[in-house]
Amino acid sequence: MRKVYIVVVLAGLALVVFQHLSSASTGRAVSPEDFAGACAPCGAPCPSKK
Amino acid sequence: MSTATAAVPAARNRFVADRLFLSLAVMATAILLALVLLDGQPASAGLILGGFALGIAFFKFEFSYTASWRRFLTKGEAGGLIGGLIAIAIAAVAVVPVAALFPNYGGAIAPLGPSLIIGAFTFGIGMQLAGGCGSGTLYTAGAGSGRMLVALAFFVVGSVFGSLSLPAFLALGGVDPILASDYLGPWGGLVATLASLALAAFVIALVAKKRGANFKPSRAYVAGGVIIGLLLIAVFAAGGHPWSVTFGYTVWGAKIARTFGVDFSNAAFWKWPGPQHALTDSVLTDTSSLTDFGMLLGAMAAAAEAKPFASGAWPPAKSLLAAVVGGLVMGWGARLGFGCNIGAFVGGVASGSLHGWVWFGCALAGCFIGIRLRPLFGLSRE
Repeated sequence: MRKVYIVVVLAGLALVVFQHLSSASTGRAVSPEDFAGACAPCGAPCPSKK
Repeated sequence: MSTATAAVPAARNRFVADRLFLSLAVMATAILLALVLLDGQPASAGLILGGFALGIAFFKFEFSYTASWRRFLTKGEAGGLIGGLIAIAIAAVAVVPVAALFPNYGGAIAPLGPSLIIGAFTFGIGMQLAGGCGSGTLYTAGAGSGRMLVALAFFVVGSVFGSLSLPAFLALGGVDPILASDYLGPWGGLVATLASLALAAFVIALVAKKRGANFKPSRAYVAGGVIIGLLLIAVFAAGGHPWSVTFGYTVWGAKIARTFGVDFSNAAFWKWPGPQHALTDSVLTDTSSLTDFGMLLGAMAAAAEAKPFASGAWPPAKSLLAAVVGGLVMGWGARLGFGCNIGAFVGGVASGSLHGWVWFGCALAGCFIGIRLRPLFGLSRE
């Protein structure tokens, strides 16, 4: 199980670093709730806005 | 060779391995911190560190929503459940007024309707099968449980399926979020939120007393509740919203699926501005992912410091199957229910949002079913 963990942690870290460096980073961390019209933590719209 | 001399190298190997995982956790955290600080984002660093501290706190205090809810349902023991409410009450003291008074901050809100009810109920079933909820899966996977690592992987998969299902369930109808501070103002909202928590604790204690069970939280649960409550405030201060776990899982799953050619451009969920932004931008600009990474690594550091890391054997196949099914079901339920026990229940109630209590009631009902399903996978009902 230890070997599995080493692989998962190193592969996961490599993926995160690669994804970060190859993305158009806007800098500031945001939540979907920060966007206009969001009504839930996942950014779903309000029932009244449909 | 005597037994005594054979034991020495074995102990040394274990020590080296623990240091290895401790170093790995610290090194990975340092790399993530460096990346966000190079982007000039101290708040993102704050979220990683907040998650790291939460990982340590959950591990050290063995804070478990899943086990404490199961103990309440099977034996009537309410100490763990009430300990969890302490954390929410402490967080609410900051979240309710600050979210109402400062435009850069917001509470965890969500609409009330069939999607919330079905999602929370399903999540409750899944958390009892997997043996961990949103936070529990994260910190136990980080702390070296291979079984929970499997549950986490399938949680991620389930949440992607949930993201594809959510728009159809939202179309079934619902009402806009109901927030205490919208009706009673910031301070009246806080009083109402704390009163609702006190009432819930009273009812839970009453049920426990009636069943002849203990309802007083242990010292560890009280201390854990206080420390986790304070850390919830720190994460709220850094991210602008209460702590959320499962949106990060959905983003990870969708990003991975996209690399394998899955096209989300026609999926309604991924056209909403927030998810669309999260899918295209760096994973280190998503508040949920930042705290998730921190929590995984914090739990790993705490576990590696305390005991031989991931030294247990893999569990039986049936138990692993329960982790797979539980993870999938939780992931799907978390998206429909607007989060897990953290994002929907803890965050929702700490924000004074009614959906938090609805989520709790439905998830507890789901736990009731999930506990009855556990023996099918060779797991104890207790």
